[in-house]
Formats: sequence, C-alpha cells, structure tokens
Amino acid sequence: MHPQLETIFDEAENRYLKPEELSLLGEYVDSLPQRLEAYRSLRDRELKIMQSVADQLQLELPQANIEMLERSIKNALLMLRYCAMGMLLNDEAFVQERLLGWLSQTIQVYDTRSIDAVLYRLLNQRLKQALNPRHLALLGSMLLLAQNALQQPAIADTRH
Amino acid sequence: MISVADLLTNNRIPSNYFATDAYVRGDLELGLLENRQGDRLLAVPETLIQGIYAGLDKETGQASRLVLFNCGRWWGKNFYVRFCEQLTDYYSISPANMPMVDFLQALQQCWITHGWGKIELDQTYQHRGFLVIKIWNSPFAKLAPQGKQPSCFLETGILSAFFSQLTGRELHCVQTTCESLGSDCNRFVIGLTKRLEPAETLVTNLDHEAIMRQISS
Repeated sequence: MHPQLETIFDEAENRYLKPEELSLLGEYVDSLPQRLEAYRSLRDRELKIMQSVADQLQLELPQANIEMLERSIKNALLMLRYCAMGMLLNDEAFVQERLLGWLSQTIQVYDTRSIDAVLYRLLNQRLKQALNPRHLALLGSMLLLAQNALQQPAIADTRH
Repeated sequence: MISVADLLTNNRIPSNYFATDAYVRGDLELGLLENRQGDRLLAVPETLIQGIYAGLDKETGQASRLVLFNCGRWWGKNFYVRFCEQLTDYYSISPANMPMVDFLQALQQCWITHGWGKIELDQTYQHRGFLVIKIWNSPFAKLAPQGKQPSCFLETGILSAFFSQLTGRELHCVQTTCESLGSDCNRFVIGLTKRLEPAETLVTNLDHEAIMRQISS
C-alpha cells in the first residue's frame, strides 16, 4: 500500500484522521474501481499486447540475437506485471524495491538496454492502442518510472 | 518468430527470489521468522555474535579461529544445499544449468537479505586459478574482537565449503583484508589448498595485492 496511506492507520489510538488524511484515503478508494478495471484489462490483454510487440521488435531489429530479444521481452513482461501490481497498490516503492534494483543489474550484465529502448517505444505505442486512456493514465506513471530507471546506466553502488 | 507464451514457465517469469521483503516473513504471535518456503530463520543478535567470539576465545584461545572456520565449513555446506534447493524450486532449473550471472546475482541478493553484507566476485586472478571474494559490511567483522590479523574465520569456512561444493573440488580460503583492521572491505582468496597455503603466513605482513603477486607467481 502507498506508504502515506499506511502511516495514517498507525494513529488510530491518538486521534481521528484529519480532513486532508481522509481525503487522501478517499482519493485512493475512489480510484480503486478504476485501478481494478485497468488491472483486469491489462491482465486479459497481456499476451496479445506482448506478442504484437515481440513481432514488431523482430521486424525492427532483424539482426539482433534471438536470445537477447527473448531476454528483453521477458524482462518487459516482468516490468509490466510489477507495474500493474504497483498501480493497484498505488505504491511506487513496491516496484522500486521488489523489481528495479534487481532488474537493472540484470539488464546491465546482459547489456540489452538498446533493445529495451526499442521495445519500450513499441510497448508504449501498443498500450496506447489497447487500453482505454483512463486506464493507461493510471498505469503510465509506474511504467514511466520503471522504464526511466531501467534505461539509466546503473549507478555505481556507493553503499559500500 | 518468438512466441511470448513460450517464454513463460507455468505462466510465470521467475525474478528476484531473495527480495528482502518477499523472502523474510515473520509471525509476531508465535515469534517466528520464516523464509518464503516456510523454513525457519534464526535471528542472531549482535550480543550473541560478540558472546560467541568472547566465549570461544576464553575456552579455546588460539584455537578459536579453527573452531570458527570449521563451524563455517559446516554452515557453508548446508547453506549450499539449501541455496541450490531454493533456486531449483523457484527457477525450475538446476543451478548447474543456470547461467553463472543469474546464479551470482541470486547469491548476492541472498547474502544481503540474510544480513551478511554485500558480496562480490572479483575475477582478476581467475586465470591464475584464484577467485577473490569481496564482502562489505560484514557483521562478523564488525563485531569481531580487535586483533592483528583478519578475523572472519566463520566466513572463510562458509566460502571455502560453498565454493568447494559448487566446483566439486576441495578448495581452501584465506582472508587477506578485513574491515576490522580498517580495510575498505573483506577480501577472501579461494583456491587449491596447496597453492593457497603460503598466503596464510603472508597475511600479517603483506597487503592483498602483494599476497596475490606472491602466490600467483
């Protein structure tokens, strides 16, 4: 769940929620039916969307190594699934902590970033056609976050 | 043409099995920690680690290094079996058939999630038959009594057993730098016992690079 929402539940014993906290909760609850719809809609179209992206990708990059393409597609599926869940929970941290750190390392090692760039363009185009605009808007912020993070050259880990 | 449906294994794409928040689960009522397979996890408080060091030192003195090393061997052997089991279950592929990169990435995440620090493999001396492992933020180094030589004997044992199992050859491990002595990280050299043995006596006098030059020559 969104971290801001999670923290407001800790205050039950002290006080009633402030109007702005209630409205935050209200916004999330009001958006839930849309989120669920968007989630279902993506779930049901996932394979079709990704298959058409995969076909396009092969047409655009006929020289690319099949194994690299497959890896790139698998990673994109993973990204899509995590973003869908992140969208449902309205929690960017979920996508960041569970997926992005790990996946950006994989992408760096296998060096699929240039294929990914083409794939993301095709995927975003395809999603625009397949999903209704309200659903896309909900999913969009998560996808943008993930794609931006995964296109960055991995930052050297300074936590040593 | 690539079939996307065929890329899925039972409709899933295995990813980060050892992701911290997914891997460690707690039951507050029973006071238990479990991993995502339902196996018990043990929380080891800092005081206990300090106590083990102090107790061993009192009871066995100099020999405590060997005791810790042998405990580490035992731990590493079982750890390797569990680690491989979990990978096999999750990725539906045996670790032997897994790309090395994926295997190492899983090991790194596993290390972090268990709170043992950050582990990295350095293959600079691989062509000379040595593998160097670097570990940052090791709790075993942080809590070790101050001494004149590297103190992570437990990890030395774990790593030698783990990599012996992995490669199917009996390998030894010697620590050359230690966070407890002010180094940036703990460096462990893994190799055949016969070739690595000279390093044991060099540790107190030479730095990592010098030791590596000596044993590689």
